[in-house]
Order: sequence, then C-alpha cells, then structure tokens
Amino acid sequence: MGGGSPCASCKLLRRRCSKDCIFAPYFPSDDPPKFAIVHKVFGASNVSKMLQELPVHQRADAVSSLVYEANARVRDPVYGCVGAISFLQNKVSQLQMQLAVAHAEILCSQMQQEPSMSRQQMDTEDKSFLLHNNIATLPQFMNFASSSNVVQEPLKIESFWT
Amino acid sequence: MSSSNSTVSSSDSNPRRCAACRYLRRRCAGDCILSPYFPASNPQRFACVHKIFGASNVARMLQQLPVHQRARAADAISMEAYWRVQDPVYGSVGIINLLQHEIYMNQHELARTQAQIAMHTAQQQQQQQQEEEEEEAQQASQPVEAPNMHPQQQDLFAPDRTYLDLSHFPDFF
Repeated sequence: MGGGSPCASCKLLRRRCSKDCIFAPYFPSDDPPKFAIVHKVFGASNVSKMLQELPVHQRADAVSSLVYEANARVRDPVYGCVGAISFLQNKVSQLQMQLAVAHAEILCSQMQQEPSMSRQQMDTEDKSFLLHNNIATLPQFMNFASSSNVVQEPLKIESFWT
Repeated sequence: MSSSNSTVSSSDSNPRRCAACRYLRRRCAGDCILSPYFPASNPQRFACVHKIFGASNVARMLQQLPVHQRARAADAISMEAYWRVQDPVYGSVGIINLLQHEIYMNQHELARTQAQIAMHTAQQQQQQQQEEEEEEAQQASQPVEAPNMHPQQQDLFAPDRTYLDLSHFPDFF
C-alpha cells in the first residue's frame, strides 16, 4: 500500500506489508476483525492460496463469501453455514407444499365450474387425489446429506448481495 | 506387511491410519481426534477439508466442541469444504443465495396463485348470487291465479242449498 499503514492481515501477522500483498485490497487496516475471523477459521495461508488461484476480478467476492462463512462458523461452531442451508431447504419444501395445495385448489375450482360435471361429483376424495398427485410431482432439489438431521434456529440470513 | 515388501515403509503400510494421518503422512495415534470422522475409506473428504480449512484448524475446532457434537461438526465442515472446492468464489454462500432466490420465486408464485383462487371464489359467489336473484325475479313476475271455479263446484249461495233450521236455536237476543 502506497506509503500507508499495513493492511489488517499484515498487522495481525506482524509482517511487512509489501506493495503486492495479496490481502491488502480486501482487508483494509480500518477493519481488523474482518481478517481476524477469516484467519481464525481458514488460516491466512489457506486464504492466500485460495485467492491466488482466482482471477483478480473474482477475489473481492471470494473474500466476502469467506468472511460470511467464517462468521457463520464462529456463531455456530457445529453447523456453520450448513445450518442456514438446512433451514432454507425446509422453507423451500414448505413453500412447494403450499404451492401444490394452492394449485390443487385452483384445479378443483376450475373443474367445479365445468358444466358437464355436477357439483356432487367433486367430493373430498377427488380433492385429496388431486393434491397427492401434485405433491408426487414436486421436483427433487439438492439433498445435502449429513450424518444427522440439521434443522435448527437459523442465522440471520440477510440477502448476501444487496 | 510381509518381509518381502522391504521397500514399503511401515507407516505407509499401516492400514489402521485414518485418512487425515495418511494424507499428512504421520503416525495415527490411538487418540487421534480426526480419525473417528475421517476414515481411511474416504480420503477425498479429508483432502477437501485440509485444502480449505487446514488440518490444525479442523482439529482445533473439533477439540473445542463436546464429543457428542463432533460428528455433526465434522460433517458440516466437510460439506462446506466440498462446496468451496466446487465453487472457489462463493462456496456454500452460493447455495444460500440460490435457496433464497428459490424461496423468493416460490413466495411470489404462491401469492399469485392465492390471488387467482380468491378471484375464482369471488366469481363463483357472484354467479351464485346472480342465479338466486334471477330465480326470485322470475317468481315475482308470475301473475296470481284466481281460485278455480269449476262448474261442478257447489254454489254456496244457491237458493236450493239446505241451510240449518234456525228455529231450533233459542232466541238469545
């Protein structure tokens, strides 16, 4: 950095901050906790290797995501980000179930409006059949298998890229 | 293991080393903290974890946890490492983003569908109401029929009708 103070990483690691320090653009000296948490979880040398393997224009995003993951892991030392992912997956399941129910309701009401079908024919058994048919066709999304069921109180999941 | 394999070092041929100690080429102690969670049968799992987090960081993280939580933590760490290897820029955060987007789309679709249902219901109710009003209007417009005077019907005021003989009743007035 041009004559300025060393970056947060070099300060923490107690070394000279060179002009081509790979951390300097992403870990400014005015935000020491940002590097501290990433170093704690991933280690400075691992982060350095990861950044070196990426093109320059992608490194800022990579650092942001590493900081997010490190924060998640410090807040939840057991599940980290996986806890949030599990929570979101459940939410997706619930919504898809609600959507299936809503689609089945629309189908029912559309069929009720058919003049050829008498109202007595659309009983609860038919509605149940439609609903189960809709649920059976729900798409299979990613299954993040773990050795245990990871469902827990989520982290505060803000939209990452706002 | 056999004496003919003199070029193979004993540490390499030890089948009881966990994946971590095998990767790190060290003796696997009996109380190796990583061995329960990184079996030799799955070397890739530890390779990902070591690349992203580093062996010492993982060992430290597991050591800081109670024993009954270490298996879950090791699974979660392995998953995060795997996703980071697959997507070096966003890692597991990329998946969070995808899921958040999917939730947003599903909520939008659900709101739209529920609005459709509400519209259908309102239309049906309106139709029913209109049908009822039409029925009532039809009933109201029909003329009131006079009592049917058939020729066979007895004329109550005909002079030949036999009335009660009032002479039998006392005169009260």
